Amino acid sequence: MINLDRLSFAYPPTHAGASPTSVLRDCSLRLGEGDSLAVMGASGAGKSTLCHVLAGLAPRHTGGTAEGVVTLGGHNVLASPPDVDAVGLLFQDAATQLFTTSVEDEVAWGLEALGVDPLEITRRVDAALAGFDLTGVRTRAPWALSGGQQKRLALAALWAMRPSVLVLDEPLGGLDPQGKREVLAAVEALRQAGTTLVTTTMQIATARRAGQVALLAEGRLSHPQAPAAAFDTAGPLSVARLTGIGVIAPTALWPDLKPTIAPDGARPAIEVTGLQYGYPGDEVVLRGIDLAIATGQFLAIVGPNGAGKSTLVRHFNGLLRPQSGRVRVQGELIGDRPTGALAREVGFLFQRPEQQLFAPSVREEIEFGLTRLGLPDRSERLDRAVARFDLGEVAGAPPATLSYGDQRAVTLACLAAMGPPTIILDEPTVGLDGRGLSQLLAWLAELRAVGTTIIAVTHHMDLAARADRVVALDRGRIVADGAPSEVLSHDTPPRGTP
Amino acid sequence: MTTVFDTYIPGRSLLHRLDPRAKIWAMLLCLALTFLLPGLTAQALVLMVVHILLLRSGIPGAVLGRLWRQLAVLLLLVLILQPFFTPSGRLLVALGPLRLTVGGIAHAAALVLRAANLAFITCTLLFTTSQPALVQGLMRLGLPYTWGLTVSLALRFLPAIGDLFNKVRDAQAARGWVAEGNLIKRFRETIPILVAVLIGTLRMTDQLTLALAARGIESTRPRSTWRELRMTGQDWWFVVGVTVGVAALVVAIALSPSVIPNG
Repeated sequence: MINLDRLSFAYPPTHAGASPTSVLRDCSLRLGEGDSLAVMGASGAGKSTLCHVLAGLAPRHTGGTAEGVVTLGGHNVLASPPDVDAVGLLFQDAATQLFTTSVEDEVAWGLEALGVDPLEITRRVDAALAGFDLTGVRTRAPWALSGGQQKRLALAALWAMRPSVLVLDEPLGGLDPQGKREVLAAVEALRQAGTTLVTTTMQIATARRAGQVALLAEGRLSHPQAPAAAFDTAGPLSVARLTGIGVIAPTALWPDLKPTIAPDGARPAIEVTGLQYGYPGDEVVLRGIDLAIATGQFLAIVGPNGAGKSTLVRHFNGLLRPQSGRVRVQGELIGDRPTGALAREVGFLFQRPEQQLFAPSVREEIEFGLTRLGLPDRSERLDRAVARFDLGEVAGAPPATLSYGDQRAVTLACLAAMGPPTIILDEPTVGLDGRGLSQLLAWLAELRAVGTTIIAVTHHMDLAARADRVVALDRGRIVADGAPSEVLSHDTPPRGTP
Repeated sequence: MTTVFDTYIPGRSLLHRLDPRAKIWAMLLCLALTFLLPGLTAQALVLMVVHILLLRSGIPGAVLGRLWRQLAVLLLLVLILQPFFTPSGRLLVALGPLRLTVGGIAHAAALVLRAANLAFITCTLLFTTSQPALVQGLMRLGLPYTWGLTVSLALRFLPAIGDLFNKVRDAQAARGWVAEGNLIKRFRETIPILVAVLIGTLRMTDQLTLALAARGIESTRPRSTWRELRMTGQDWWFVVGVTVGVAALVVAIALSPSVIPNG
């Protein structure tokens, strides 16, 4: 079904004078009909490029040059685009592949493009929505869905076109536990229906579900093997090997995140009382939150999608203002102090680093916050941050051209250089490979050593388990608050997404 | 996510069920009518009828209130400034060359109501018609498919760009960005945000290219249309009814030019 013979791929140089970036080198692969293959690799290893080539999108729409042979069901993909009913690609960021204004129209669009008869379209739309459990939201706008629903909708839209091959680029990436379960069930159903599947992933558990596993590292694709053999301690994807090349970071190797300075409960870094908030024209999100976070404490905030976690922490640096209730930062009411002024006391790490970076170079990106806050020793802070996050090599490059892992490192460096006494992290582990995760954890350990207050919103239970205190939110209320062992032990099933 | 441009409010009312082409025709006639209608009372009457129609079609009062708030500044400006440009009738106050008159105020009030009518009549179409139906309606009235697709993609991505702007602004505020000072300084301060939004928008465009290609935009087979629009008896009755009604009103206005004075 899929035949790769000595495929090499290189992207054009990012700036004048640079050489092309070689991503894939002499990759060969042979997959039969109904086979399922998982490709593991670190962030930036070329997994997405491989997916784009298989789907006939690269180099046609991405630029770059490909050599070698790629055939899908006998069709030479590099010579002419494959039919959309030959191969479907689930994008890593599935939200970006949805472009219509309702769920059912999203599924119908590709069928219209194929010229399918309207009655048959109705049948296939109904079947796809039922199969991916989307019937209840068929008239909703795609962008108003949860992350898990968006991935399922993208899958439904692909599946409706009846492709013989489905390529899934990190299908579980960026999802909360509920979303992961939903998408996993959908993928499993596709596999059982006999679709040829190629999945990329950074999780061993996900890869184990495939019939064969291969590793993509330094541009080379290993020979696919059954999971048992591949993950064997002597296999090409042993835990030690995957850790060594930065694909995974086993929890056993995580640094200790215990406080070296005892948190000071008498002086809360952040304190909110009677906090209520609702977005305009929407239902109430926070229904009376009382919370005091001790200086130097590491607090993890957990809870299902829509519980109000992000809404809550956005009050801590004034991105949102309470409709009723009060917010104090280091004992002082924030009043109408702008977020930009509070940045000196409270740092915030946002999701999606690629959306925040704008400067012409990494150095200028890090300098932005330092200049804005008028901090002393700017050049020392800058140099220290560049060195700390291994950004020396790319310090002069535009951050927008870096890989996801490096972009994440730049956002950490920006925050580290400013060095605020309190730091809020919104889903800091999403999309990180083993190397990125290790870097984040090592930095958190350093922050603990100097007594920084850390507040992390996370679905990553291993991270939450290492906090001093865990607060569980559900439907805008605190439903549990205590040591990780108390809050995380009784495994409360997450509420279904609305 | 903000959905400023997604104005559709799902429902099962008569207006919701009508063919978009019938509604576009009715909208054009009613817009023309508001231009022809003389005077305050007639405009107020139309506005009242449109409000009743919208509420009866299941459009929440809160949505109408929001539209009024969005229009408020514009309408207020017209109400305050217009009287000085069209003085007529009894003089109330004279401030140098500025003369506030009864006629001027009446004229401004009528203009305000007319502007509100234009907005509410247009929104009657947008509130009760889903975007795919609207795009298909426009296409069936002669717009080529790529134009329809462009309208549809614009409606889809404008809010996304607005959303991106908010995210970037928040991220930069968290790194110490504050807009302060005069207008020019504020604009310069906004440049980093605009740069990030531009980069993000370009990335979105790249992704959209891939998404469209992956879904078969380049397919050489002729496109089919899933939801073929069909004018039903109800649609035709609606078209005839609105046309006759508006025509009758226009004739009435033409025959009695001074029914409502102070136009």
